[in-house]
This record gives sequence, structure tokens and C-alpha cells, in this order.
Amino acid sequence: MHIPDGFLDPYTIVVTYVLMVVFASIAFKKVRRLDERGVGLVTTLAAFIFVAQMIAWPIPGGTSLHMVGGALVGVLLGPWVGVVVMFIVLLVQCLVFHDGGITALGANVFNMGVVAVFSGYLTYRAFMQVLNKVGMGVGTARFVSGFIAGLVSLGLAGTVCGIELGVSGEVLSRVGYSLAVSVPVMAGWHFALGVVEGLITGSVISYLGSKNALRIVAEVRS
Amino acid sequence: MIQRKQLLLLSVLIVVSPVFGVWLAEALNYAEPLDHVAEALNLTEWEGLSWTPLKEYSIPGLPDWLGYIISGFIGLAAIVALGYVLKLYVSK
Repeated sequence: MHIPDGFLDPYTIVVTYVLMVVFASIAFKKVRRLDERGVGLVTTLAAFIFVAQMIAWPIPGGTSLHMVGGALVGVLLGPWVGVVVMFIVLLVQCLVFHDGGITALGANVFNMGVVAVFSGYLTYRAFMQVLNKVGMGVGTARFVSGFIAGLVSLGLAGTVCGIELGVSGEVLSRVGYSLAVSVPVMAGWHFALGVVEGLITGSVISYLGSKNALRIVAEVRS
Repeated sequence: MIQRKQLLLLSVLIVVSPVFGVWLAEALNYAEPLDHVAEALNLTEWEGLSWTPLKEYSIPGLPDWLGYIISGFIGLAAIVALGYVLKLYVSK
């Protein structure tokens, strides 16, 4: 889902850069409260997301997917710390490996670092509350909520990416039906591929929860 | 910063990553949904804009699989370095 240079029009580039700066500024202010262990968790999760994104899985029909991880970090560390984790990953991918364009960095951070993280976090919280009320066991509830959070986060991030590509198609290529092509394709594929993202997200959260390995921030009452 | 066990797991994942990121990608010639959309909308990548010799996790002069593995470790090192920068930032 990393948009390269050349795919976005100047207006979308400016708007998404502004969004990135706003969200990253707030996030970096909020992480000042982290202690040493918290910084260690940010670094560890960023490393795992970076490596997980190098492993692209083939899907029948000539398509591939890799984990994004936005929901996972949002649920485990909270949305603002999650933004910082994804920002670190996307910055290294862009600057060191040209994976995602420099003009598209704002869009890539917004899609995978903001939309995926916040939607995953909010979906997980909502489903955990509902499943707790109906009396589901905490381990199963964590898996189900994590599964849906991963699926929704990837689907929504793909949809927003589709909107950006569609708008850019209209502006750059003068293709009048761009949004009608880009949004259904990106949304459809990413909600479908979100099943794998969801399985990984749900499995990791329920495993870490069962081991009491760390406090799951999305389960803390706000 | 990152525990030894976790570093070991990350190293194993990096070593096996070319199976998916290089060999299967070449064998099956697959692309992401984004590439299909770009093709349909006639959006083309700017090939001339480049600032790193490690583009797409490759290293000039090395086979793709080896470049992919070394790139993984370089990326890991870069993230750990940024972790130390973050540690300095929060301790101020």
C-alpha cells in the first residue's frame, strides 16, 4: 500500500503532508510521557512491523499482501504511540529503501500510520466492550476483537488510499471515472486481504494478553 | 532496547524474507492492488527521482536475495538508531 512518487497530484500531496505533520506533532508531544520501557516497546514493535512488511504473501490472481500492523500497534500501545511506531517504520522505508515516495510520505503515513492505527484501536475497544457485556471469555474476546480491528483497519486504510489515487487520477490523468475505479478496487481488495491482517492481529493480541506480556492500552478504561 | 530473544526472532524472519519478497515475487510475478489501480488510471511512477542506492531493498552488485537480507538488517539497525534518538528526546 506504499504509494510511490508520481502517483499523487500536488493538491493531495500538500493536504496529506499537512495531515501527517499535524498528527505526528501531537503524537510526538504525547510520547514525551513514555518511560524507558515504553521507548523499548516502541522500538521493538517498529522493528517487528518493519520486518513483517518485508514478507509479502502471494494471493491467487497475481496479487500480494503484507501485514500493515496499524491496528496491532494501536491496540497494544494506544493510538498516539501507535502513530509514532508507524511513522518510524514508514520513514525508514521511504528514506533508506525508497519504499514509498518522498512526495507520498504524507499520504502513506496518513493511511497506514493514522487511519489504520485509529480505526483499529477504536474498533477493538468497541468490540471488547460489547463482547464483555455478552459474557464472552476474555481470550476469545481479544481474538475476535483483534481480528475485526485488523480487518477494518486494513480495509479503511485501503479505501482512503483509493480515494487519494482516484482524486489524483482525475487531476493528473484527466480520467473522469478515476474514483469509480480506485475506491472499489482498493476497498474491495483490502477488506478481503484484511482477513489475514485480522488473523495475525487477533492471534498476537490474545497471545500477549494470555501471557500478561504487556498492558494492552486499548483495554484500559479512559 | 530490543531483547536478545526478540532480536533472534527478527533475524530469522529477515533471513527467510527473500523467499516471499524475492523468489515468490519473481516466480508468480504478483503485484499489489495499488499497482493494478495505477495501471487502470494511467498513473506512472517517477523513475528519475532517487536518493538511495538501496532502492526496493536491493544492494548494487549483490544478488537480489542477499541484498534483501542485508537490507533487512540495515533497516533494523536504522530503527534501533531511531529508538535511541527517541529515548534521548523523551528523557530531555
